[in-house]
Amino acid sequence: MAEKRVLLEHRDVPGIDTISGYEAVGGYEGVRRAVSMDPEAVIAEVKASGLQGRGGAGFPTWIKWSGLRGNPPGPRYVVCNADEGEPGTFKDRELMLRLPHMVVEGIAIAGYATGACRGFIYIRGEFTESARAVRRAMDEAYERGYLGPGMAGSEATFDLHVHMGAGSYECGEETALMSSLMGERGQPRAKPPHAPLPVVSGLWGRPTLINNVETYACVPHILRRGGAWYASLGTERSKGTKIFSVSGHVRKPGNYEIELGTPLSELIGMAGGVVGGALKAVIPGGSSVPILTASMCEGLALDYDSCRAAGTMLGSGGCMVFNDRTDIVKLMCATARFYAHESCGKCTPCREGTRWMYRIYQRIMRGDGRPGDADLLVSICNNIDGRSYCPLGDAAAWPIRASVERFREEYDYWVQHGRSPLGPDAVPEVH
Amino acid sequence: MAGPDLVNIVIDGKPISVPKGEMVIESARRVGVEIPHFCYHRRLSKEAGANCRMCLVEVSMPRKAPDGTVSLSRMPKPQTSCSLPAAEGMVVETETPAIVEARRGILEFLLINHPLDCPICDRGGECPLQNNTLRYGPAATRFSEEKRHHPKAYSLSEHVVFDRERCIHCARCTRFTADISGDSQLGFLKRGADMEVGVLAGTDFTSLFSGNVIELCPVGALLSRDYRFRARPWDLSTQKSICTECSNGCNIKLDHRARRLVRVNARTNEGVNEEWTCDRGKFGMAYVSSPDRLRHPLIRMHDRFVESSWTQALDIVAERLAAAGPTAGFLGGSRSSNEDLYLAQMLFRQTLGSANLDHRTGPVFPPAARYMSPTGGLGLHSTIAELEGVRTALVFSADLAVEQPMLFLRLRKAWVRGACRIVEVQPDTAGSSARANRVAEFALASAPYGEGQDADAAWDLVGALLAERPELAPGLPASVRERCQERAGVRVASDALRKVAAGLGEPPIAILCGEAVRRSPRMLEVLEALSTLGAALGAPSCVSLPCREVNEQGAADMGILPDAGPGYGPVESSGLDASGILAGVAAGKVRALWVCGTDYATEFHDRSLATRALEASSFTVYSGLTLNATASTADVVLPVCSVAERDGTYTNVERRVQRFHRAYQAEGDVREEWRIAAAVGMRLGADMPFADWSEVLAAILTEVAGYSGCSADRLGEHGIVCTRPGQEGTVS
Repeated sequence: MAEKRVLLEHRDVPGIDTISGYEAVGGYEGVRRAVSMDPEAVIAEVKASGLQGRGGAGFPTWIKWSGLRGNPPGPRYVVCNADEGEPGTFKDRELMLRLPHMVVEGIAIAGYATGACRGFIYIRGEFTESARAVRRAMDEAYERGYLGPGMAGSEATFDLHVHMGAGSYECGEETALMSSLMGERGQPRAKPPHAPLPVVSGLWGRPTLINNVETYACVPHILRRGGAWYASLGTERSKGTKIFSVSGHVRKPGNYEIELGTPLSELIGMAGGVVGGALKAVIPGGSSVPILTASMCEGLALDYDSCRAAGTMLGSGGCMVFNDRTDIVKLMCATARFYAHESCGKCTPCREGTRWMYRIYQRIMRGDGRPGDADLLVSICNNIDGRSYCPLGDAAAWPIRASVERFREEYDYWVQHGRSPLGPDAVPEVH
Repeated sequence: MAGPDLVNIVIDGKPISVPKGEMVIESARRVGVEIPHFCYHRRLSKEAGANCRMCLVEVSMPRKAPDGTVSLSRMPKPQTSCSLPAAEGMVVETETPAIVEARRGILEFLLINHPLDCPICDRGGECPLQNNTLRYGPAATRFSEEKRHHPKAYSLSEHVVFDRERCIHCARCTRFTADISGDSQLGFLKRGADMEVGVLAGTDFTSLFSGNVIELCPVGALLSRDYRFRARPWDLSTQKSICTECSNGCNIKLDHRARRLVRVNARTNEGVNEEWTCDRGKFGMAYVSSPDRLRHPLIRMHDRFVESSWTQALDIVAERLAAAGPTAGFLGGSRSSNEDLYLAQMLFRQTLGSANLDHRTGPVFPPAARYMSPTGGLGLHSTIAELEGVRTALVFSADLAVEQPMLFLRLRKAWVRGACRIVEVQPDTAGSSARANRVAEFALASAPYGEGQDADAAWDLVGALLAERPELAPGLPASVRERCQERAGVRVASDALRKVAAGLGEPPIAILCGEAVRRSPRMLEVLEALSTLGAALGAPSCVSLPCREVNEQGAADMGILPDAGPGYGPVESSGLDASGILAGVAAGKVRALWVCGTDYATEFHDRSLATRALEASSFTVYSGLTLNATASTADVVLPVCSVAERDGTYTNVERRVQRFHRAYQAEGDVREEWRIAAAVGMRLGADMPFADWSEVLAAILTEVAGYSGCSADRLGEHGIVCTRPGQEGTVS
């Protein structure tokens, strides 16, 4: 299999970020087709496509969308989660930068299908260029009538706003994102079974749809070419294409769009193969998913089920490739630092556990590791896993626990000798 | 069987029906299972809770298979029982190995940065973290890094000191200021393990309710500046009491040691203060252990006070009162107990034959009949708890949070629930340095009035309402319509008043007047206008001018009035009101004056009259706690017991008769006022055979309308609300 470009098909066409360039390749046909249909029919089309959320959890998109339809009258909202903060993931950034109209069109379709009056794009604060591109695209879309009153020739009104994040990974969690969007502290809110889903009670207590940038970007294609066409891509249970952000020790890092079910080895091949040494490990879905050893990568197909069976997750598609010069303990020290820095502080296990783990890594890096540190790390992970308020705690625990289980000997070497088993040149550098 | 609003659940194998949506942690209590927790508090929002993760339980729900069979399916993750609503068929397990392990893990996390300085911590001995660690925690720590360090005594407010190292970030204090007091002054700063409670930017922790966070804190992080390092909990004794700082009558616990009050905590009374206190009460009660307290009777000798025996002092008082007879006068009593006041009026009315009794400080002295009238506007014309259910509230000339703290919290609660429209009319403080009135924070509309124009504003509001809703006019007497038209000729209601009028909506309605109305010479006019307003809205008895002092309501009920006896009973002839008594004293016509507790020299509306009278008085006896300005002018000063040192009852603003208990024996030679009155009476041959406070209360029950059910054994923990005079029976 090779790349299968649907979203990224016209990525390199000059002027594709302008509305005329985008319309020239069929852009906004999706929204025009959508408004000619019943909102229910639009959702049926999305259902037929089998589209699953591309933000990491893989939840069927149409179920979320139809969750808003039955709700009582009054305002309802659509939110695009563009707070792409998962280490190793940079697909949304490029989608917004290069193909902003596709994202805007997808949100507009969702707005029409769910009966929302207003949409918000919550963009990671550092993505100033992407935000500029999206704002420009929105201005053009308003000018051409795809947004605002009578959007795309329908009777509906749909307004779109950009909101910039302020530098918090946690705000990518959908309920924390909503808190932040409402001007509150960026902390997660209760979810089922403790509180209703956002589709019932989200922003300001109103029904709210939240999807990832890539999920919205798929929608214009599904409307333009049909859900059945989209469902013909990918595997039986993981439909369509997915963009993987390949980084690390590969010759051509970047975003690659493939059909779900494509073998991991082919993805690495597309990125020019491993450089600087032999393949040692892969984190296939962003820093929050468990790390795979080279042997575990063999024959692995990149779809939701296969990844789960292999002891990891497809996640957000942030595929990090590591060669044999990589010191896994150093790598995990950097990971632990990230989660300790990004924990919002709300719940006990994540607030205390992430910092504790980072401090143990710091001690190991100083050469002060002790026998039992690896087991202590696993125990701390177990005490966080499943007990934190939101998935950030789990995301901090899973990669570290997997790394101890799968690269135990490196931890033992560090503890015993106070230095890296790979010598002073091992990567990554740890500060 | 589960009713429509009940669901059947099973907790640790025990089946039970509970209200649908009840939090599982509460349901567990019903079957005797206490689930450990830190952040959960039933009066605080769930939204910002469920963060300590201590109350995790395992939960299974029935799941229907495609073939119709139902089986239990366990949720993959443990759930916080404090935020989990009970649902039909739910099966909860609170003591599985996984849960035991989870709790141990949570406690280990909470303790890694906790300083464990329990031996010097105020909370040690009554600390949830200590208790839960003992029961559920690990015995040893695996944390070998340096703990987090902060200054140990960070000043959060005038009353609250913060030990950041001890904080476990449960968000109880931040939620209190957001949910209950509504100041939203505390919040979290920074994030992750650096997250800390602090005062939010642009504000100070000036809340009038700041002390509550000390009690809410599940560790020793939030500390009372007064109590810090003063005692260990196990050295303290506790007694049930009533706060004396205002008329709300908050239920409190007096923690004392070696005959000194060291701490005041709230005592739960759902009808009064729920479980809150205001700072004035929590920290103001310290007066009972003040070094300024009088400890011995004083007699004036050659322009100086000398200590005397009670016998000598009482002999003098009895002699001078007897000599004055019907020309004796009694002033004050708003801070004395019902028993004190009942015997005081008995002494004056029956023994001395004087009806010169008044507890008020003016300037207006409404006839006693108004106290009985449901439309008279005097007193609070609902219970405190009923304010939660009002749909419309008008706050007239009141800084409610300061004057009536618990009424304020209830009204705010009604507003938070979203079904109450609140409007206000307030003195114009623009340009003055007056504190912002807290009702303004959530009032729908607010109108100012100029100095001395309170009654005009009230009438203009009636006019504005009739202009807004002319259909209400026919229901009103012609005189009222004319009056409004007259006013309309004088001045057209301001835009602001029109907005206030437009905000007046559905019943139940509460119109709450404040201190400025009480101190206004036009008080009765204001009440008349507002009663008209209430009548127009279909609620003629919705106007309230709540009293201010702890037993001001009781003083009126006991007949410390010139024109009514106990229970507003009829009198043969009226005596002088407070103004009349003071004028009489100044003119030498009132020949002996007893001032009870109230500092008339500073509290009477006409200070110059009060000062003149006290200086000119031929004989003054003052009974009270300290040597204040009034006492300094007296001939005899009698030191009395504080609330901590005696038993008795007070009647609060909603006419709830409440019992307070003696915490410890008083230091020095001080007495209860009712004993003083009885001792004077006995000297004058009166029949006052009372040996105990409860015997006085028994006499009150037979004479005071509405009090008949309030016997000492029936008052219980939470008191009894007496109906207004003229109505039958009592409600609790």
